[in-house]
Amino acid sequence: MKMEEMSLSGLDNSKLEAIAQEIYADLVEDSCLGFCFEVHRAVKCGYFFLDDTDPDSMKDFEIVDQPGLDIFGQVFNQWKSKECVCPNCSRSIAASRFAPHLEKCLGMGRNSSRIANRRIANSNNMNKSESDQEDNDDINDNDWSYGSEKKGLWYLPFQNPNSPRRSKSLKHKNGKWGWSNGNYNNSTGISYETLGPEELRSLLTTVRGDLSSYPSLPCLPTRSLRCPQHTDEQRRTVRIYFLGPSAVLPEVESSLDNDSFDMTDSQALISRLQWDGSSDLSPSDSGSSKTSENQGWGLGTNSSESRKTKKKKSHLSLVGTASSLGSNKKKKPKPPAPPTPSIYDDIN
Amino acid sequence: LVVSKMNKDAQMTAAINQKLIETGERECLKELPRAKLTECGWKGQLKSHCKEVIKEKGLEHVTVDDLVAEITPKGRGLVPDSVKKELLQRIRTFLAQHASL
Repeated sequence: MKMEEMSLSGLDNSKLEAIAQEIYADLVEDSCLGFCFEVHRAVKCGYFFLDDTDPDSMKDFEIVDQPGLDIFGQVFNQWKSKECVCPNCSRSIAASRFAPHLEKCLGMGRNSSRIANRRIANSNNMNKSESDQEDNDDINDNDWSYGSEKKGLWYLPFQNPNSPRRSKSLKHKNGKWGWSNGNYNNSTGISYETLGPEELRSLLTTVRGDLSSYPSLPCLPTRSLRCPQHTDEQRRTVRIYFLGPSAVLPEVESSLDNDSFDMTDSQALISRLQWDGSSDLSPSDSGSSKTSENQGWGLGTNSSESRKTKKKKSHLSLVGTASSLGSNKKKKPKPPAPPTPSIYDDIN
Repeated sequence: LVVSKMNKDAQMTAAINQKLIETGERECLKELPRAKLTECGWKGQLKSHCKEVIKEKGLEHVTVDDLVAEITPKGRGLVPDSVKKELLQRIRTFLAQHASL
């Protein structure tokens, strides 16, 4: 075979066409064979008839071509106009607004708690000068920080007798400033803890007319043993009421002396205390001023045990800072630190 | 030496086929009907015909030969003219390009 003879150009068109036809036939047959093999495999594997469905189910999923409906036959805005009844408030709410309404209505969900907190904060800000702070305390648990700051550390909120915090807080305060209810118990038989707020209110308002602004306050000063809102006359009255006419009253001179600078002292006390200053004074100073003030309350009449505890506790108190003023002044009319036991001796 | 025309033709065809494979044109040409035939529904028609044949013969007893014998002639006839024409055109083009072997 020579190469020239093999040249295609030598062939006429019919020949070329014939060849083309042959090639085409080959291609078609290849396709058919391939198809046959696929079908045969499907038959033998069992998936050949899988895409056949019965005419009944075919009808179910027929494509819908009507106006206003989608191809599944569903209406577009079907749930927009429907109204649901809220199980909580029994109101009729639009379906698209139902979920958010329920969230607020039941008080669950993030936003509803945020809104509630904001409302509480707003109502707190609005109530500036309330007479019954203790009610707010029950509602909001921010009495210690908020209330005390507002009142300049002079206000000790008196809580619900049933709340677990109450006894704890009072005892805590007692420990700090030697103001123990136990003393009251021993001396007077009256315990502020057991008295309900109503009883206390009546008790204190009858005795001390100045307590009208804080009716249920037993007047427990937070930082100092001398409450600036009441005069000594009032204190004496209460003392007599609680302790009886036979109660041992403090010595007139010392109490008077205390009174003379106690008012100014208390003013300084307030300013000093609000600084939260450190106690840079000797404990004995605080002790002396303390005991004198205790004396003013007539607590010195109690047992020696309570005395000792008071002494210890008074050392720890912050009042030491403020009492420096008092102690400086008091040193003139009174003997210096060591007389702490002597004062008690006097009382006895 | 007398070279029979038939022989020549056969050789010619063989040579051309070889050329087709070598250049990869054959694969390209094969791809064309695969896509086109499915698109035009040729495969769908053939499939329904297959189903008839299978139902006739019985699902279990169908063999490849049966299928081939039944389907191939039908398939060849069902090819739409447009596809046929396009295919032939491509083959002629190829032949013209490779006129000189």
